[in-house]
Amino acid sequence: MSEPDSGRSPYNWRNLFRPFKSVREGTMPAGLILVIMLLGLFGAMFLNADATLRKSDAKGDGWRNEVASIVATVSDGLGITSLRGRVDEALGKNQGTKIDVAELLARQQAEEQAAMVSQQAEAAAKPPVLPAATPEAPLRLWIGGDSIAQTFGTSMQRISASTGVFTPTLDYRVSTGLSRPDFFNWPEHLVKDVLPANPHILVIMFGANDGQNMTVAGGKVLERYGDEWMTEYRRRVAATMDLLKSPTNDRLTMWVGAPPMGPGSKVRGMDRVNYIYWSEAQTRPWVQYFDSWPFFSNAELQFSASLPNADGVVRGMRQKDNVHYSTVGGDRLSWAVINRIGKLVNIAAGKVTPPPKDAPPPELVERTELPPTMPGAE
Amino acid sequence: MLFPTIDFAVFFMVVFTGSWILRPYKKLWRWFILLASCVFYGWWDWNYLFLLLGSIGINWFLGLAVFKALTPEGERTNASRWIVRAAVVINLGILGYFKYFEFFATTIAEKLRSLGISVDTPLLNIILPVGISFFTFQAISYVMDIGRGEWRRPLNLLDFGVYLSFFAHLVAGPIVRASEFAPQLDETPDPRFVKSSEAFMLIFRGMFKKVVISSFLATQIVDPVFALPGSYNRWEVLWAIYGYAIQIYADFSGYTDIAIGIALLLGIRFPLNFDAPYRSLSLQDFWRRWHMTLSRWLRDYLYIPLGGNRGSKLFTYRNLFLVMFLGGLWHGANWTFVVWGSIHGGYLIAERVVKEHWAGHELGLPPLLVKGLQWFLTFNVVCLAWVFFRSQSVGGAFDVLGRLFSGSGRGDDVSLLLIIVIVGSVASQFVPNRIPMKAENWFGRLAPVLQIAAVAVGLVLIDAFGPEGIAPFIYFQF
Repeated sequence: MSEPDSGRSPYNWRNLFRPFKSVREGTMPAGLILVIMLLGLFGAMFLNADATLRKSDAKGDGWRNEVASIVATVSDGLGITSLRGRVDEALGKNQGTKIDVAELLARQQAEEQAAMVSQQAEAAAKPPVLPAATPEAPLRLWIGGDSIAQTFGTSMQRISASTGVFTPTLDYRVSTGLSRPDFFNWPEHLVKDVLPANPHILVIMFGANDGQNMTVAGGKVLERYGDEWMTEYRRRVAATMDLLKSPTNDRLTMWVGAPPMGPGSKVRGMDRVNYIYWSEAQTRPWVQYFDSWPFFSNAELQFSASLPNADGVVRGMRQKDNVHYSTVGGDRLSWAVINRIGKLVNIAAGKVTPPPKDAPPPELVERTELPPTMPGAE
Repeated sequence: MLFPTIDFAVFFMVVFTGSWILRPYKKLWRWFILLASCVFYGWWDWNYLFLLLGSIGINWFLGLAVFKALTPEGERTNASRWIVRAAVVINLGILGYFKYFEFFATTIAEKLRSLGISVDTPLLNIILPVGISFFTFQAISYVMDIGRGEWRRPLNLLDFGVYLSFFAHLVAGPIVRASEFAPQLDETPDPRFVKSSEAFMLIFRGMFKKVVISSFLATQIVDPVFALPGSYNRWEVLWAIYGYAIQIYADFSGYTDIAIGIALLLGIRFPLNFDAPYRSLSLQDFWRRWHMTLSRWLRDYLYIPLGGNRGSKLFTYRNLFLVMFLGGLWHGANWTFVVWGSIHGGYLIAERVVKEHWAGHELGLPPLLVKGLQWFLTFNVVCLAWVFFRSQSVGGAFDVLGRLFSGSGRGDDVSLLLIIVIVGSVASQFVPNRIPMKAENWFGRLAPVLQIAAVAVGLVLIDAFGPEGIAPFIYFQF
């Protein structure tokens, strides 16, 4: 196998274990290269089986997903996935727990039930009551979500701090959402790390990473935007909203809907998830849905990368990927959200009048009702 | 289809096997490679396959027409010149439509709107077909080479199709000339001596650069800082700028390494596209090391036709500036690319002026220190230009640069790991070539079973160190 003129049979399998010699340094027969590539890929396939299945579950690639499941089953049976697991552990990757949002909710509700008096329960059915925000007693504002929340949140953090009546905290996680608690478990993070700080207002934004298949109990994979997927996603959204309810009804959640995504972005279905956020928020007074869509689209509610602000000057609202906000877009949305907060909470003591160059035109308003789907959003 | 994916791995196994089986049957092999390349390209969007096939058909015809219009001695005629011009116009017209039409349409509409004239511009949603710049440039080079009498052997349609569409270089180069590629089609490489060590090392090095280094820098510092520079301090902004220099190098050279390695496994040798560009001591040297096949293309098909250095100094400077200016504009319809090209063009001229006037002057400094200063200056000028290249707008670039002087704060986003990655990546450019060659030879002598293990573990580690999912290569958009 190793040396064409050596007289040794090139097809002897023992040659696989002998140092390779070729009459031309650095070369090898094509057949042997094929063997190395094939076996190398097979080896990688089994060593990496769990990670591949995780990604395949997320994408839901049909037959690919079935193959990945079989490989993962075999690999787990042979116990050869531990190498990748240990590497992930060392890198602190994919350490999301299996705790389900419903389980969290049940736990929280049990605790609340024990503590909550009937009067408080009644109060929670009404819109939350927050103290007036003043420079002396600013409201704790938490901003979080995925990478879109990063660009928006950084603007929101800066602008809200500049009003003098908020103390903002930004907490974004790239590539996250509600579809993949195995990658990052938002409900768990909210309960464990966010709510203990007792924020007065939460501004939350998800969706752009959620257009992927979901794996539910029993390993069943739900195809993205299919009926079962929609039901499960709605359940997760509803339960997350419920987690954010304050027993004393003094916390407001501003759930910011996703904007339309532009050409080439490959992010689809934002109209559908927005509809879920909006409709679930309708029955929860402590959650207010903010409709960002009209603020980043043209008169026909179609994506528009450049739009005029209140000063009439057209500016780029999105980054090159047509997904994330530009600084200008982040500022525009921030002022719109602050304006909306101002309608629910007394923030008049702050510097809350936006400069026209940063704010959306005053005639732009949110929609009163969202449709289940939007033409042209796909 | 992206290189570092399972889809491509399966695709390549089939192509590798089929290619070596069919290689002795030259015509069959060519059809096979053409089909494979069409599948590879069509994987993104089948509709754009027609654009590629159209480009093959039109440019093959134009190449033939140019050849027939030459004199029997291969001298240019008026007809041949006109056909070459038509080929350039057609190719650049198609490229321009996809790259610039929407930009110009919306810019004009906005200007008219500001004058009170309302123009309803339809949103065309033109998406740039992947790799259009690269195969268009190759097509232009083919027709122009024939027109100049430099390539005296017009390819038949099948060979030309394989040349233009060969999947390894189709979407992001290297930009290969017909004179480099076509002779290899006629050769029958010996399947017993495939350059596997070099190919494997190139592929793994490329994947590591792309999947691990480039993605790490993008998510850790570059994307957040360039998205909202106002939120970061000068220290973070400085490392984000250096980080982007490494990111774009790792991304693009990583892709090229994989492309060259894949072609090598199929018995095709591509020209080198990167040669440690960040060790350059001048910008002229940088352009001999960065995207070398584009530099060569710009020199042969733009700088020389403009007159090159066959004139006064000012004439040469003008040409130099124009080439870099247009090279910048090639990257897209944005003033940021114009500024990027202008910085390079202006600095190249400045270098020439300095060299011409002060070449013989002694500064009295140790040579090593002079070299160090030259390197520092070159690297930082390149990084400064990258700020414009990466930013969404010229204003955005100045926001980033402004933070270098005004940004205060703690700089929590600069971790030790980040500094190690950036400094280590720059340092790796100074590693002598003999060291990776030694590693290649060592790998090639390993028992095949150890090579199998290295391939398997290497792939798992790259996947583990990389992000969830693979971001497209930066240069696909050009």
